[in-house]
Amino acid sequence: MPVAALDPFFHSRGWQPFDFQKQTWQAFLAGKSGLLHAPTGQGKTLAVYLGPLAESLDGPPGCQVLWLTPLRALAADTLRALREPLTALAPHLEAEARTGDTPASLRARLRKKLPHTLVTTPESLSLMLTHPDFQEKISDLRCVIVDEWHELLGSKRGVQTELCLARLRTWLPKLRIWGLSATLGNLTEARQSLLGNAFANSAEISADMHKPLIIETLIPKEIERFPWSGHLGTRLANQVADEIERAKVTLLFTNTRSQTEIWFQELCTIRPKWKNQLAMHHGSLDRAERDLAENGLRDGSLKCVVATSSLDLGVDFSPVDQVIQIGSPKGIARLLQRAGRSGHQPGSVSRILGVPTHALELVEFAAARDAATNRKIECRTPLKKPIDLLAQHLITCAIGQPFDPDEMRREIESSQAFYNLTDHEWHWALGFISNGGSALAAYPRYHKARLENGRYTVDDKRLISQHRLSIGTISSDPSVSIKFTNGHTLGTVDESFISKIKPGSSLIFAGKQLTLIRFHQRIATVKPATRALKGQVAIWGGSKMPLSSELAHAMALQLQGHGKPTPEMTAVAPILAIQKKWSRLPADDSLLIEHTHSREGEHLFFYPFAGRLVHEGLATLVAFRISRELGESIHTTQNDYGFSLTAKRGLHLDETILRRHLSSVDLLDDLIACINTAELSRRQFREIARVSGLILQSPPGQKNRSQRELQSSASLLFEVLTRYDPDNLLLIQSRREILEKQLELTRLTAVIERLESIPMHLIETKNLTPMAFPLWAERLSATLPAGDAASRLEAMLHTLNVAANSTHQSSAIP
Amino acid sequence: MSPLPSHPSLSLLADGVVFLTSTATLIVADVHLGKSAAFRANGLPIPEGDNARDLARLLEITRKHQATHLVIAGDFFHAPSGITPELVEALEDFLREIAITVTLVIGNHDLRIRNLPTSLNRVHHLVLEENIHITHDPANATSAHLHLAGHWHPVVKIPDGKRTSLRMPCFLLRENTLVLPAFGSFTGGAIVNPIPNDRIFVALRQQVIELPPTLIS
Repeated sequence: MPVAALDPFFHSRGWQPFDFQKQTWQAFLAGKSGLLHAPTGQGKTLAVYLGPLAESLDGPPGCQVLWLTPLRALAADTLRALREPLTALAPHLEAEARTGDTPASLRARLRKKLPHTLVTTPESLSLMLTHPDFQEKISDLRCVIVDEWHELLGSKRGVQTELCLARLRTWLPKLRIWGLSATLGNLTEARQSLLGNAFANSAEISADMHKPLIIETLIPKEIERFPWSGHLGTRLANQVADEIERAKVTLLFTNTRSQTEIWFQELCTIRPKWKNQLAMHHGSLDRAERDLAENGLRDGSLKCVVATSSLDLGVDFSPVDQVIQIGSPKGIARLLQRAGRSGHQPGSVSRILGVPTHALELVEFAAARDAATNRKIECRTPLKKPIDLLAQHLITCAIGQPFDPDEMRREIESSQAFYNLTDHEWHWALGFISNGGSALAAYPRYHKARLENGRYTVDDKRLISQHRLSIGTISSDPSVSIKFTNGHTLGTVDESFISKIKPGSSLIFAGKQLTLIRFHQRIATVKPATRALKGQVAIWGGSKMPLSSELAHAMALQLQGHGKPTPEMTAVAPILAIQKKWSRLPADDSLLIEHTHSREGEHLFFYPFAGRLVHEGLATLVAFRISRELGESIHTTQNDYGFSLTAKRGLHLDETILRRHLSSVDLLDDLIACINTAELSRRQFREIARVSGLILQSPPGQKNRSQRELQSSASLLFEVLTRYDPDNLLLIQSRREILEKQLELTRLTAVIERLESIPMHLIETKNLTPMAFPLWAERLSATLPAGDAASRLEAMLHTLNVAANSTHQSSAIP
Repeated sequence: MSPLPSHPSLSLLADGVVFLTSTATLIVADVHLGKSAAFRANGLPIPEGDNARDLARLLEITRKHQATHLVIAGDFFHAPSGITPELVEALEDFLREIAITVTLVIGNHDLRIRNLPTSLNRVHHLVLEENIHITHDPANATSAHLHLAGHWHPVVKIPDGKRTSLRMPCFLLRENTLVLPAFGSFTGGAIVNPIPNDRIFVALRQQVIELPPTLIS
């Protein structure tokens, strides 16, 4: 029994293996693949790693274990964790990491010989598949471990992982694949995605030992003066500072990068003495800046780090004893993940303190606690058949080894993402990688993969290096580097932000007050601001994350008075009482609609509790349907609880009419008609064009002339394809992705069907209710642009003329 | 109608070209023929279709206005790798059918193109009637005369409501250089950052109108 070989390791540390660890070892040694789910800090690493290690102690010298991690930032920590048992049990065996950050010297060494354990990312694994000798190098491989599978699931990187694993399974039929995941609402589906056709007979092991979790909320002292809307929440900063004071090391999570900058500034102002004990961490900061924060957390030298989701994942920061969440937790799984950053050792308690930024977030925290206790966790839905990724993967495989199309199709279909690939899709993808499209519409003088002796191969050296550069599916918009004059890089911001700042003006970034010197060719040069100025805080684009269905439902239950009395609900009671008096409390087994008048005209407020994105879709849809009959332009706003419509007149509608506007009849047609799908899919197309190799990635630092002649924007490609190759599957994919991504179409459809079946309460209110006010005050509202470009321009010119003819009258639109 | 009283024969057409009425000269910029072929030759799967369409549009416009001289203000072609035998053939047909003088003022993309039909006149700089200078890069313009140029592919962005904006190819008149929009269908655009006294013209339903400064500032 090889497991006995592990005993010295545990004895030397005075540890006892947990049951789930033993279960995992046994399942592994019995030849099974599987999924292990557990909160962080539970000894998951040892559970999945020690089985293959025990088995391979006396094995052949080649690479035995491949460890996939979603973030290259995690690779170093993972390596540290794996080397610990390796040093104790088998000091002669090596573990190394190979990611985009790996220095060229080590990469070259790894090209020659792989270590016993190799830590890598899905992109790097994909890249290794392009090396012809990779199959031979991993011929002794026993096990692939996919860490944080829940993070990859539901993304294109997850599908990339599935396809790479399918390749490895073809080469090594006995390969065992193990996934590690946080708790999800759809664990079986997650396991199926990971294992594909190797799902049968696999194991699902739970390490959820109901680790104690405490979710508390900072209650505002004067709820009457607490805002009904907003998202910054710095009003509670003094109380937050007191809490930070009490703990040893605090991790303070915010929801956006800008919020991180704002809170960092706020804490610096309130507690100047913390100057050197505060750090910040977000995805746009330079690696070196982030390392400072991470190292400070690890050695406990920092008092507090203000962070975004960039610190959500697995890194072990043992000294952290308090986690604070600023603003809405958005989802239950997310709150649990963040809470798990504290009390990282087995047996200790995770604790998270919620800080509401407006009154209703008190309800969200109470709801999240309830749902977390009842284990009502969100699902992550895996992606289905992204054709762009299939095209990329086929080229990757063809570069590595010429492939036979029938064999390859079987391999692709052995993954869960592509199990139902149609003949049409398969032949289209083969056409796309060889002669440009369907067999009938080959592109003149184009070829990438060639068919030779019945096998597809890519042998053009230039195309191969081009493809290697473009492997990877996360596309990022061009961003601007922020640098000091001495060349030190602080991080990146969006071009749209920096271009609005004039040289000489100040900005706040990376927690520093800076003065812009110049902005030239994607580099903004700055210097520290000489005196304290109120600078503009850097803002980044990107949509806000919507409230999850599970949390929204839990919230509706709280509002209806379900659940035990909690400090949060007691605190928010006076505001809910106003809502009840002026209107009624919203629920999700009936739909509350409020109608009211103001100086701007008429307003309708709907509260379906379906999350921001669905509300955006619903608002646009209802506005479109009403304006089609009314001929008035309608302004819409939305938040996580509901949406509003504003028009000068004509919104006094009865239930029959409202039900017609909220009906699922012609849903897809109306959505496509009203949300300028063409424009949105054009935006979505950028990622697809990159993944499928329609846009070239230029190698870092070198931009030669011939490359420049091959630059084009994704939107231009989108137009060209729409005009000359309208059946291109990539176009169809971009339409599908945009509906799902922008409007959560699946969820929206389910919500509309629910709304059709529940009672409606239409209430006339005199004032804006506590629920309505945030929607009314929402600044990021949108106008539904009516008509094509020409009529929009005409409308603007007309408005100008009208304004010029009556200069005393101000515009009535807010 | 000319936007410049000093040059009464200058007129901007909704097709994104300039017509000089006194001598029936048509000026167009940035056609970028062979761009999709250049992409394909480098392993990027872009469908064919634009060359034929763009040449046909050009032919139609010259006929409609009975132009007697066609001037291309640079970047008629995209890259040497895009000059396929099919393109050369289409170009020869075009030159034969159009049956008027066609002058190419060489742009940066045309520099490396060889072996073109001899009926295509190639010059580096051209002066037309009313002392109108044609050059490809606006940077080459001097302040003494009116210049017509291309190279920038100007596009104007007009904010329209909250979080929405229109993006339209435009003519940009800056000091005494009129920059033409790119004519080719497979050409991108660069958003103009207007500076004081810029005048911007766009096509609106087959008319060219000047945008009021308040719309673009």
